[in-house]
Amino acid sequence: MPLFLPTDLSETLALLADHPEARIMAGGTDLLVRLRAAGRTPGTLVCLERVAELGRIEALETATGPAVRIGAAATITDLLRSDTVRQRLPLLHRAASAFAAPTVRNAATIGGNICTASPAADTLPALHVMNASVELASRRGARILPMPHFVTGPGRTALEPDEVLTGVVVPVPRIFTIHHFEKVGQRQAMAIAVVSLTAMLAVEDGRIRDARLAWGSVGPTIVRCPEAEAILRGSRLTLTALTEAARAARRAVAPISDVRATADYRRQVAGNLLLRLADLPGRKPGS
Amino acid sequence: MQDIGRRSRRFDALDKARGTEQFATDIYPPDMLWAGALRAGVPHGIIRRIETARAEKVEGVVAVLTRKDVPGTNRQGFVYWDMPVLCGTRVRHAGDAVALVLAESRRALAEALRAIEMEIEPLPVVDTLDAALADDAPNIHGLDTGNVLKAATIAKGDAEAGLAECDVVVEETFYTPAQEHAFIETENGVARIDDDGTLHMTVSTQAPFRDRFEIGRALGLDPSRIHVTGPYLGGGFGGKDGATVQCLLALAAMHAKGRPVKMWWNREESMLAGYKRHAARMRFTAGAKRDGTLHAVRCELDYDTGAYAHLGVEIMALGMEHSGGPYRLPHLEAKGRCVYTNNPVAGAFRGFGVAQVSFAFEGMMDRLAHALGMDPLKFRLRNAITRGERNCAGVTMTTSTGMEECLLRLRDHPHWKSREAWRADAPPFTRRAVGVAAVFNGMGYGRGLADYAVAKVRLTGSGRIRVYNGVSDMGQGNASTFVQMAGEILCQPESVMELVQPDTDRTHPSGSAAAGRTTYTYGKALIKACETLRDKLFNRAALMLFVDDGSGFAMIPGGVRHLPTGRDLPLAALAAMMHPDDRISMAEHLMPVTPEPVRGGEAFTLGFPHLLFPYAAHLARIEVDELTGRVAVLDYVAFTDGGRVLNPQNFEQQVHGSVAQGLGYALTEDVLTEAGVLRSTDLCTYVIPTSLDLPDIESHAVETIEHTGPFGMKGIGEVGLNGPLPAVASALYSAGLPMTRAPFTFGRVLAALEDDQPGTGSEAAS
Ligand SMILES: Cc1cc2nc3c(=O)[nH]c(=O)nc-3n(C[C@H](O)[C@H](O)[C@H](O)COP(=O)(O)OP(=O)(O)OC[C@H]3O[C@@H](n4cnc5c(N)ncnc54)[C@H](O)[C@@H]3O)c2cc1C
Repeated sequence: MPLFLPTDLSETLALLADHPEARIMAGGTDLLVRLRAAGRTPGTLVCLERVAELGRIEALETATGPAVRIGAAATITDLLRSDTVRQRLPLLHRAASAFAAPTVRNAATIGGNICTASPAADTLPALHVMNASVELASRRGARILPMPHFVTGPGRTALEPDEVLTGVVVPVPRIFTIHHFEKVGQRQAMAIAVVSLTAMLAVEDGRIRDARLAWGSVGPTIVRCPEAEAILRGSRLTLTALTEAARAARRAVAPISDVRATADYRRQVAGNLLLRLADLPGRKPGS
Repeated sequence: MQDIGRRSRRFDALDKARGTEQFATDIYPPDMLWAGALRAGVPHGIIRRIETARAEKVEGVVAVLTRKDVPGTNRQGFVYWDMPVLCGTRVRHAGDAVALVLAESRRALAEALRAIEMEIEPLPVVDTLDAALADDAPNIHGLDTGNVLKAATIAKGDAEAGLAECDVVVEETFYTPAQEHAFIETENGVARIDDDGTLHMTVSTQAPFRDRFEIGRALGLDPSRIHVTGPYLGGGFGGKDGATVQCLLALAAMHAKGRPVKMWWNREESMLAGYKRHAARMRFTAGAKRDGTLHAVRCELDYDTGAYAHLGVEIMALGMEHSGGPYRLPHLEAKGRCVYTNNPVAGAFRGFGVAQVSFAFEGMMDRLAHALGMDPLKFRLRNAITRGERNCAGVTMTTSTGMEECLLRLRDHPHWKSREAWRADAPPFTRRAVGVAAVFNGMGYGRGLADYAVAKVRLTGSGRIRVYNGVSDMGQGNASTFVQMAGEILCQPESVMELVQPDTDRTHPSGSAAAGRTTYTYGKALIKACETLRDKLFNRAALMLFVDDGSGFAMIPGGVRHLPTGRDLPLAALAAMMHPDDRISMAEHLMPVTPEPVRGGEAFTLGFPHLLFPYAAHLARIEVDELTGRVAVLDYVAFTDGGRVLNPQNFEQQVHGSVAQGLGYALTEDVLTEAGVLRSTDLCTYVIPTSLDLPDIESHAVETIEHTGPFGMKGIGEVGLNGPLPAVASALYSAGLPMTRAPFTFGRVLAALEDDQPGTGSEAAS
């Protein structure tokens, strides 16, 4: 079982090019679990843990405005500890705090979360609503893909065998006043999302100027619902408007039944979660 | 000083914190082999072929064993012997062992297990109680009674006539799931046969002494040639009461040519092959008088024991015995059936049959209180059993009976008194509610199986005090309490104390770590042994100091003092002059049982009825999220009557642990199967609570005195588990969400919310 521990990106890319059979291992919290379940010992592994440049989190200015670049090997704990993430990408911070438990968060990386491409992956909805893009590199060159083009199905991505995900670039949301994330799991930690809702709303003078919504665990990949977003746009955060949007959302999702919940439950709750955004007396919307 | 009543730290705390305590899993003898079982994977079928040739050729494989290699009866069990060590022709659940491999490494073991070819012709799977009880159901064990292992009825008064006399009568059917013990240390042990043919085994077990007989019978070995050592366990909860790895491991050792063998089930194997709490269906009819007097209960209890009996009949008997609740109930008729299916094997579990019926009888109390328009706590208080009365099964309560006091204390708790204001203050999309439950749990083995213990204590040659504990400590802390008891009587600090854990060669048979009996029965024996040793020390000291007799002596730390003369004698000096045999004291104790006859009790040869009961009143403050159906338990309060508290810290830990496990049972834990095949295969899909899911748990002792118990105590290891499910259910009921199926998953609660007509929530409220 050859195990490589490259220390920079070019060495990583060379290893991947020379060992087409190799698998990339970041935190191993998905990979090792899957290998154990399959009763297999890993073949060649290229580990990312010593590639420092892949672990950085930095604020940057792009042509379209401020953004945050997160290295693929940044751990969930890194996200939680980063002031940049907490201040500029509150949704991602919330997702990170609902993620597994401290021990897993110390190992699990954002790149691994993206590449696993699970519909339940907790960081994905936030990355979707914030229009994040992923950076990919191989010895052949680099490319950038918007999130929805990279994650193509459950467990499926556009990653080529010799490619590594180097980072994710997230434009800092500017006009949005409400950042809402709710994960429904069977318990409060160490739980796989049964349904999750990530919402960004721009509310001005009581009216919703823009709305971006994404659901986890209710379809083969992250589910967006332009229809529900359109319903909300221009209206107030009333139960009536949200109930109508919820109906649209229930039509848009395509959940399955599994050992954790039925498809009906997921569909129902995917809609219900929107109601939490209502501007009701005695509570702040989205809190 | 190790005084009784002190919140002293556990004797084993430092060793465990430092990681120096050796659990069975920590033992890796040199030259050791690994043993592992091939599991059927099919819930019901006929074995047509097992081909081991390929597996035997795997490098590093020492032996591949099948049914034909098993000497003896090939039957495990300790009341009913119905569970094969290795299946020969028939498999009855997916976790049945069909072959056993010995190998030099885990890798070779895994490869050999994969290389065994197995053909099992499937039989129709009996996966539910109804399927098992159907007229044309496949007969799993070929009993004349079909799949009913045992049916019995107990009766007090005349339930039929009693119900006719009631002003309100309610009916309901309740369902509880199978529950997994989910101990940290999964089933494991090491074994070796030495040159003289003695089998030595160190195993994670709650019953080291009884294990010898179970192994002996199954494999045709002489129990007196089996030596079992039982170190601290990383959890047991009943799941290690009865052979887990023992027989397979012994069989492996018989083929290891004197080499040590280790078997350690991984989590998935533990989930598949380990014992579970019995799933149950409970049909109840209960009636009360208009004035709030509970009058009659009739119930039918069906326990799904899975593929094998284990202690299923005794578990059902306890369920029946407790089915009328901790109340003065004139009329009870309880019918029980213990039923075989092809589900995972059910067996002993903290709350032994009672955890199930607690949900049902307390559910009936809520419904009756509602029908009577009475406060649910007042209704319970009004009917709470008190000393001198016959309990629901007809046994006169001659011992400590703190049910009423627990409820009175709960009634005065701020969380109960403020419940209306708290409920009214619910945030949007949230229902708040406060629920209560009154529970009890019979202690000890009950009639027909002597609940005894033999304690031994020694003054060592160097003047230290060594306690020989005969009852496994699976984390409940009994061993530590034994040190405390000896320290109390002999007035010695922790630094002078030594402790030997159960070992069939060194300690004495003292029954299993079960039934809330561990501290009680052994403790009584130990007190006598320590008093005998103390008196002996005084008399020997009298000899040494040339005084008339031992009457003027007192124990002091590290020695004895002659009070009239003020002279001290160190323990080491005493030890030096005493013969080794003289430095030992032994004593035994038998737990008392009731001499009263109970109607229907003849059906049970053992384990029924009980005389001693701890009691508890629990309160749960919950929030129900109307958007998701999630139930959050925000505050929890437990008042527990366990007699006198010997160590407040150990007492609280038992309460906290059992409430945590009980909340898991109430909210998420469910061993899911589909057509007999496990769906919750690991701790990712079998959901136990984390620290974030548990509220702060307030524990209050209601200190009655149990005159028959050591220093006035009785065991509380189980009673706390019985409260959370009914307390949460009671809260849900008062929030307009009557639940009859546990656990209260978000899906079930959301469905109940959808069923709830607006308004009924507050009507059902107390
Ligand atoms: C106990 C437990 C709890 C969990 N809880 C959660 C949870 O609450 N929420 C959640 O979303 N997930 C959870 N997970 C899943 C898992 O932790 C996450 O998906 C995590 O982000 C994976 O990251 P990793 O670094 O461990 O990935 P790895 O296991 O190292 O890799 C996963 C996959 O991605 C590939 N990969 C990794 N990095 C790269 C890269 N830079 N370029 C290309 N390919 C790459 C690997 O080859 C592999 O196929 C949990 C897992 C466990 C074991």
